[in-house]
Amino acid sequence: MTDLATVLVNAFLAAGLYATMAYGLAVIYGVMRIINLAHAGIMMLGAYVTLTLFERFHVDPFLGLVAVGPLFYLLGVALYRVLGRSLRRSGAAPSMDSLLLLFGVWLVLQNLAYYVWSGDTQSILTGYTLKSVAILGVRVGAPSLLVFGASAASLLFLTLLLSRTYLGKAIRAVTQNRDAALLSGVDADRISAMAFGLGTAFAGLAGGMLSTLYAFTPDFGRSFLLKAFCIIVLGGMESVAGVAVGALVLALIENGLAVWTTVPTSFQDAVTFTLLFVALIAFPQGLPGLFTRLARRPVPR
Amino acid sequence: MKRLPAASGLAATAFLLAAPLFLDRGTLNDLWSLSLGVILASAWNLLGGFAGQVSLGYSAFLGIGAYTTVLLSLRGVPPFLTLPLGALLAALFSVAIGLPAFRLRGPYFTIATIGVGEAVRVSAASVAFTGGSSGLRMPSGSFDFTANFYAMAALAIFSVVLAAAVRASAFGTALAAIRQDIDAAESLGVNATRYKLLAHALSAAVVALAGSLYAINFQYIAPGSVFDFRLSLSIVLMPVVGGVGTIAGPVLGALVFSTLQIKLLAIPALRDAYLLLYGGLLILVILYEPGGLVGLLRRLTTRRQATAPEQEVPDAG
Repeated sequence: MTDLATVLVNAFLAAGLYATMAYGLAVIYGVMRIINLAHAGIMMLGAYVTLTLFERFHVDPFLGLVAVGPLFYLLGVALYRVLGRSLRRSGAAPSMDSLLLLFGVWLVLQNLAYYVWSGDTQSILTGYTLKSVAILGVRVGAPSLLVFGASAASLLFLTLLLSRTYLGKAIRAVTQNRDAALLSGVDADRISAMAFGLGTAFAGLAGGMLSTLYAFTPDFGRSFLLKAFCIIVLGGMESVAGVAVGALVLALIENGLAVWTTVPTSFQDAVTFTLLFVALIAFPQGLPGLFTRLARRPVPR
Repeated sequence: MKRLPAASGLAATAFLLAAPLFLDRGTLNDLWSLSLGVILASAWNLLGGFAGQVSLGYSAFLGIGAYTTVLLSLRGVPPFLTLPLGALLAALFSVAIGLPAFRLRGPYFTIATIGVGEAVRVSAASVAFTGGSSGLRMPSGSFDFTANFYAMAALAIFSVVLAAAVRASAFGTALAAIRQDIDAAESLGVNATRYKLLAHALSAAVVALAGSLYAINFQYIAPGSVFDFRLSLSIVLMPVVGGVGTIAGPVLGALVFSTLQIKLLAIPALRDAYLLLYGGLLILVILYEPGGLVGLLRRLTTRRQATAPEQEVPDAG
C-alpha cells in the first residue's frame, strides 16, 4: 500500500514538470508543424540562466523562473525571426529541413554553453534542496514540491492564455485548422512567432526547474527531449489536457518500474525510449486518438 | 565531363593504395580518418540521401560492429575474421528496428532513431558482458596499422562504388521514387518498406564493418566512444554538408570534416568549438544551399538562363 502511495505521489509530482516541458514542444508543433530539436538546448540554457541568476545575483531559482519565462519568450521570437524563412510551415507534414536546422541551433547552443559556463557538471544547492516533507505518508523532497507548484502555476497561466485571449484563440485555431484560421484573418506569421516564443519560454521554464532537481552539463537535455516527445506522442499534440495525460502516463510508468521491478535506474531511459517507439507505432494519433478509434469502432452485426 | 568522376575515383584509389609506401604515419592516420568518414557518410547516404530517410541513430551500427569484433577477439578469434559477423548482426538489427520504424514518416522516423541510438547506448553501458560503461580492450598483440589502413581504404573505395552502383540500378531508382513521393511510388507498385529495409541493412552492414576496423585500430571501445550521439551526428553532417543524395557529396563532406577535425585539434583555442562549427555549418547549408557543397559547385559551374526558375521544385513529403 505504501508502495502504491509512493508511486502515485512521485508520479503526480513529476508529471507537472513533464507537462511543462512537453507543452513547449507541443505548441510549436501544433502551430508550425515543426519538431523543435533545439528544445533540448533551450532547456539546458534555461538551467544555466537559472544557475547564473542564483550564483551571481543570489536570486532564488524559483523566483528566477519569473525572469526566465519572458526572457526565453523573447529569445524564441528572435530565433524565429532569424531563421524564419526555413521555419515557416510548408505543408501538412513537418519538413526535414526545419528539423536539421533546429538540430544545428541545438549544437550551437551547446557550444555556447561550453564557452560561457565550461563543461563542468553544475548543480544548484539551496537551503531547502535537501529538506523533505511528508505527503500521504510519502517523503518528498522540497524542490520536487516547489517544481510541481511552479509547473502547475505555469500550466494554469497557459490554460488562461489559451482560453481567454486573442493570442490563445488564434493559436488554437491555427493548430486545429490552419487554412480556416488564415481565412478568418489570423496573421499566421505573427502567431507562429508568438507560438515559437511561447514554446521556447516553456522549455526555458522547464530547464530552470530541472536545474533544481538534477546536476547538468551543456550536454544536458537529450533524454528530456525524448521524454517530452514521448509525452506528446502519447497525449496527442493538440491540447493541454492531452499533454497532461501523456505526462502522467509516462511518470506513472517510470515510477512504477522503479518501485515494483528490479530494472536498474540506468535502464529507465531505455524503457522510456522503447515506450516512445511502441507508442509511435501502435498509436500514432496518441492516446486520445486511440480512445476515439475504440469509441468509433463499428459494432459488429 | 562524364569520365571525370571515374578518372578521379581511379586516381584516389591508386593514391590510397600507394600511400603507405611514401607517407609518414601521421599523414596515414589522417587518411585513415578520412576513409572512415567516407565510409560512414556514403553508407548513411544510401538510406538518408537516396531514400530520404534521415536517421540519427547510426552509431548503433558502428557500435555493434566494434563490440562484435572486440568480444570475439577476446575469445581468440582473429580480429579480421569477425568482420562478416559484425556486419551480419548490424544488418539483422537494422531490419528489427526498420520493420516498426519505417511505418513512421519523415521527422517521426528521425525522432524514433534518436530513441533507438540512446536505448542501445544505455543498454551497452548497463549490461555486464559489454564491460559496462568502462568499455573493453582488445587482446594485446592484435594490431597491425598497415593492414588496418589497407582494409579501411579498401572499404572506403568499396562504399563509394557501392553507392554509385546502387544509384545506377533499379533499386536506386526505387529509392529515389520513395524519396520524392512515397505514396506515388507505392501506388506504382514500389514495395517501399522492402526497399527501405534493404537500404537500411546495406548501410548498417557497411557501417558495422567500419566499426570493426575502428575497434581494431583504437584497441579500446566504450559505450561513450562507439555509441556516442556525436558520432551519429557527424555521420549525418558529412553527407548533408557535402550534398545529400549524391555520390561525391559524402566524399566531399568527409574531406571537409576530417580536415576541420585535424586542423581544429591542432589549435587548442578552437578545440572546443567543433559543435559550434558543426551546428553553424548545418544552419548555413539548410538556409542557403540545401544541396550542400555539390549543389554549390553545380550552381557555380552551370550557367543558367536568366528566365530559368531559380529554385527546383522541392520534394514532397
